[in-house]
Amino acid sequence: MAIRVSENMKYNTMVNNLFRAQDSYNAAMEKMASQKKINRPSDDPVGMSRIVSLRKSRASVGQYRRNIDGCNSWIEITESKLSSVDDLLVNAQEIAIAQSTATASAGTRSISAVAVQQIMDGMLSLANSKYGDRYLFSGTRMDEEPFSSSESAAAIGPAVAADGNFFDGTVASGGGPYTGSVNKTYVVKIIDGGAFGAATYQVSSDGGKNWSSTNTIPAGGTITLGDGIDLTFTAGSNDLTANDIFYVNASAPGYYNGNGEELSVEIGKDTPFDYSISGESVFTDNGGGNVDIFKVLNDLKNSLEANDPDGIAAQLDNLQKASEQVNENIARCGARMNRLEIAENNMADLDFNLTKLISNTEDADISEIATELAMKEIALKASYATASKIENLTILDFLK
Amino acid sequence: MSAISLLNTAKDGLLAHQTAMNLTGSNITNVDTPGYTRQRPVFSSWGSVDKGTGVGIEKIERVYDRFLGVQINDKMHDVGYSEAKKGALENIEIIFNESSSSGINELLNRFWSSWEDLSANPAGQVERDALVSASRNLASVFRSSSDELVSVQNDANAEIAGLIDQANGYISDIADLNGKIAAIKTGKGDANNLIDKRAEALKGLAGILDFQHLEDSDASVNVFLSNGMPLVMGDRTWELGVKTDPANSNFYNVVFRDDPAEEVLNNVVTKGKLAGFLEVRDDKVVNYLSDLDSLAASIIAEVNAQHQSGYDMGHNLGGVFFEPATAAEDMRVSTDIAEDVNKIAASETVNDDGGNAELIGAIKDKLVMNGGTSTFNSYYASFVGKIGQDLADEERGLDHHTDIMNQLINKREGISGVSIDEEMINLARYQLGYNSAARLCNVADELIDTLLNLVR
Repeated sequence: MAIRVSENMKYNTMVNNLFRAQDSYNAAMEKMASQKKINRPSDDPVGMSRIVSLRKSRASVGQYRRNIDGCNSWIEITESKLSSVDDLLVNAQEIAIAQSTATASAGTRSISAVAVQQIMDGMLSLANSKYGDRYLFSGTRMDEEPFSSSESAAAIGPAVAADGNFFDGTVASGGGPYTGSVNKTYVVKIIDGGAFGAATYQVSSDGGKNWSSTNTIPAGGTITLGDGIDLTFTAGSNDLTANDIFYVNASAPGYYNGNGEELSVEIGKDTPFDYSISGESVFTDNGGGNVDIFKVLNDLKNSLEANDPDGIAAQLDNLQKASEQVNENIARCGARMNRLEIAENNMADLDFNLTKLISNTEDADISEIATELAMKEIALKASYATASKIENLTILDFLK
Repeated sequence: MSAISLLNTAKDGLLAHQTAMNLTGSNITNVDTPGYTRQRPVFSSWGSVDKGTGVGIEKIERVYDRFLGVQINDKMHDVGYSEAKKGALENIEIIFNESSSSGINELLNRFWSSWEDLSANPAGQVERDALVSASRNLASVFRSSSDELVSVQNDANAEIAGLIDQANGYISDIADLNGKIAAIKTGKGDANNLIDKRAEALKGLAGILDFQHLEDSDASVNVFLSNGMPLVMGDRTWELGVKTDPANSNFYNVVFRDDPAEEVLNNVVTKGKLAGFLEVRDDKVVNYLSDLDSLAASIIAEVNAQHQSGYDMGHNLGGVFFEPATAAEDMRVSTDIAEDVNKIAASETVNDDGGNAELIGAIKDKLVMNGGTSTFNSYYASFVGKIGQDLADEERGLDHHTDIMNQLINKREGISGVSIDEEMINLARYQLGYNSAARLCNVADELIDTLLNLVR
């Protein structure tokens, strides 16, 4: 039995198919214009999800590469400064060797003393060098020059209150002498505010990272921080308030004002990398077998001025150790740069692979799209041609 | 049997064929009328056997399949539902279209990067300003995404009000037509055109909401909601209305307009455009908003927590970095930070190192979302994927329903539609019948003439 075909049916079918052909054609056209297979989340939801994750990974990798670049520059400059320091030490050694023998005289020795002073000045300026706004050799302390020109005794610096504290009384450091072996920054944080005798606090000896247990501030307002340091509060109009911060920088005897921490930055996921060398490990006598380079040079100068050949000879050994100390740190720089090179290669590989993955998921293959577009165009033209024929054939043409 | 009765027979033939041709004429002129069912004359012979039989049009039949009508209406429910959801979801997809490069993903990546740059140079004013700028952009994109989701809800709400008006229009049309059809039927007339109009009104209503309908003994169609409450019975109507609901952000609830108890009908409507918009407004967008809010709230909480354990340039413990908020529409950089970039707590110690900035940068890989199993990025990636999947599902559903709908419509056209070819042939046929009857008149006339001339 034949199916009845009505006029509306013919037109509906034709129009629907025409729309379908146009829709396909437009979709192919869009892919061609944007060069992407996925133009919106609904085109391929799983693909889009993956692209979002891959883009974030690639952005992270880009950032890590920038960090690695920054570290490389820092370490290169550090290495070159340390090289210059070593050259100065070699000079000092030559002077010491020459002036410790019997061929030297009081005159040559006093002239050499001036030379040694100049070596010390050069050394000081190298030790205080900066990269951008930051000191190369001050550890994590950025607020003052790492090395001073003269030796200081163990000192407890003044107590400093943070700018935003509510407490407006005075605070003073005291006690002493400082018994720590290295420079430290002690920080006091108020936990619960209140008057003396009620307020509680915690102490940190590493600049504010790790905290002790909570204690109460005694009525007298004096607390002991450790290593011989005291802190005394004098009440003002506002009481001690929670999160008020006070800190004291304490320095061990010597020339060094920085600390022994190293700056770090992430060069990969969960991969912090220490890139700075602290002045403490290069120039001071902390750590086994180390010498305080400035002290050695100063003693050498004094011995030269005092025309003391035994004193001069005594420094030869120290100068040798100093040179070894510096070279050890230069080697550390080298090792770090090697590690950075490997990390950079890994990141470059990762970057390349991620870009490839993103492109595979997202980008359209031009030749494939061009072929698809051509096919859809033919289909569309065929639909138009058929549509034009459909109205030409009715029985009216044949009835007389 | 007389010549006069021959004349009568011819007259019957003429009249019947004339009516048939009129009917064919009305079929042909209505070829483009939507919903028109073709009408067919049913010839039947009458009269007694011995006196000769004439012909009459017994009735004018409307050619239609009643079950197809029900099927088409059912499909319209599905088509309307998918259409409404697809339209709204397309608007949502535009908000989160991550194939461009200024979406939440990109800005979030730049935010973490700015912290890492700051950690390499914690005292740098340039880095601090860049960080504040990146943070503001991030907060702004969260706020605007949230606003746009809310405006999709508002649009759906407005559509609902419009649809209720349309539905009421259809309901009153159906009731009106019911009355007229019942009146004509009791007068033993044919109400075919009115029945067509009523079928179209039912189809229009079907696109808006789902209903059951039954034909009554007096040929009225009674329309009920899916829980049995009536919309149209005979010529009586129960029109729908909207009422704002303060418990739901003053969005509209669907109620009966004259119902003093204002019983909420939102759950009774499960298909059709009305249900589509209700679902988008009260379910889909609410879920998307809550996911977005959850992401924003977690970012704010994590960054603030880490920021507050670091030190700023004034050696103070950090304050909040973002204003504490639990919704994306409230995400803002804290005014303290915006006014004074030195308050950014980049340092881990009071000595101005960049350690805290590095720790904040590392939050991007921390497993915070989904109960500690996903990072922010993977949560957002699956959020975007979910939106894409929802829309792709609706598109497929709509295509599927529309295809079936088209097939049903074609089937209906096949049964009830007008075919010009067929009508033309019918026209020729009836014209022949008419001409023959006219010829019969002629012959009868000659017979009578002959008879009259017999007697002179």
